[in-house]
Amino acid sequence: MTMLNRDQVTARLKQLPSLPSAVSDLLASFSNEEVDVEQIARQIARDQGLTARVLRVANSSFYGLQSKVGTINEAVVVLGFRAVRSMVMAVSMNGAFRVDQCQGFDAAGYLRHGVGVGLAARALAPLAGQNAELAFTGGLLHDIGQLVLASNFSVQYAAALDYRKKHDCPLLLAEREILGVDHAEVGGLLAEAWRFPDSLQQAVAHHHAAASAQANSLANVVHIADAFAHAMGLANASDELMMPVDPVAWERLGLDEEKCRKAIADIEHCFEETCQTLKS
Amino acid sequence: MKVLEVLALEVVKPGMKIAAAVVDEGGRVLVPVGAEVTEAMLAGLARRDIASIKVEHEVEEDPAARAAHRAVITSRLDRLFRQAGDALATRTLYQAVLAHRMEHPL
Repeated sequence: MTMLNRDQVTARLKQLPSLPSAVSDLLASFSNEEVDVEQIARQIARDQGLTARVLRVANSSFYGLQSKVGTINEAVVVLGFRAVRSMVMAVSMNGAFRVDQCQGFDAAGYLRHGVGVGLAARALAPLAGQNAELAFTGGLLHDIGQLVLASNFSVQYAAALDYRKKHDCPLLLAEREILGVDHAEVGGLLAEAWRFPDSLQQAVAHHHAAASAQANSLANVVHIADAFAHAMGLANASDELMMPVDPVAWERLGLDEEKCRKAIADIEHCFEETCQTLKS
Repeated sequence: MKVLEVLALEVVKPGMKIAAAVVDEGGRVLVPVGAEVTEAMLAGLARRDIASIKVEHEVEEDPAARAAHRAVITSRLDRLFRQAGDALATRTLYQAVLAHRMEHPL
């Protein structure tokens, strides 16, 4: 099978439909401190599907609010703009790809693993001095390159998934063997094309190579969060496989068994409910 | 010993504690985590055709059952960790998940 190259992937990324304007504005707000929060809230509120899903997450045990919020404005007031921004990005990005044409792609397992990594990243973020909401978004979106490949190169990606199954090897190796590129690299290209903030770009592109990222990079948190989600078997897939943990990233977070157990309890506390609320 | 487990609704008793939020097909929370099970709650869930829920309850400790439980967990973990190596980070994570699962079964 002919391998892909960066140019082919980049060309296909340019053909992707643009994001809803509310989401684009939210992405731009990462680099603009003087963002008009009310205007963005009004834009989100105009998208009824997005609003409904964001409010479902806001009112779930993910945030543990005492009373329910009924509008995006209320959510911004109660949870803060950064939390709502992360939530909107989380619920809108993964829904931008159709993967049903890719044989062997486990969409349910993808969502479960993404939620697990998101919750793990949120639980681990304070250990690395990272913002918990941004870490959740980074965790949820870390494998978005898989969606790009499964939706845009479905035949080739199905072959990579088949190779992985037959050889029981890490997905990353199967992708490199069959496609010549891997989902982290492709995810990084998408993050760049869609102008994700730098921290998210790094988390997506380097979550399998955290040692090469900077010491304070979100990639460290997402790499370790990825390991937690696999160790807990959250994808619920019979062939789920945990890869070796990068000792540099582990050291950077200063983890020990007690901290791990606390994070595991935090992850499990609202895992199933968050999966339900993020189902499209 | 306190255990968390998914039980069929027929064997859930009032006084047990909800260990995972019960949600409907639309993702709406019917019963939050931590709520105490009541007769009225069980009747309401049965009306909605909820077949099983995850609860926390007390059971008498049985060493043989505990050993069997541990064997099931380690077998699953060994499968998940089959290519994870034996470095400190890997071993720590393995032990942390094992300890958690002994107290909180799936």
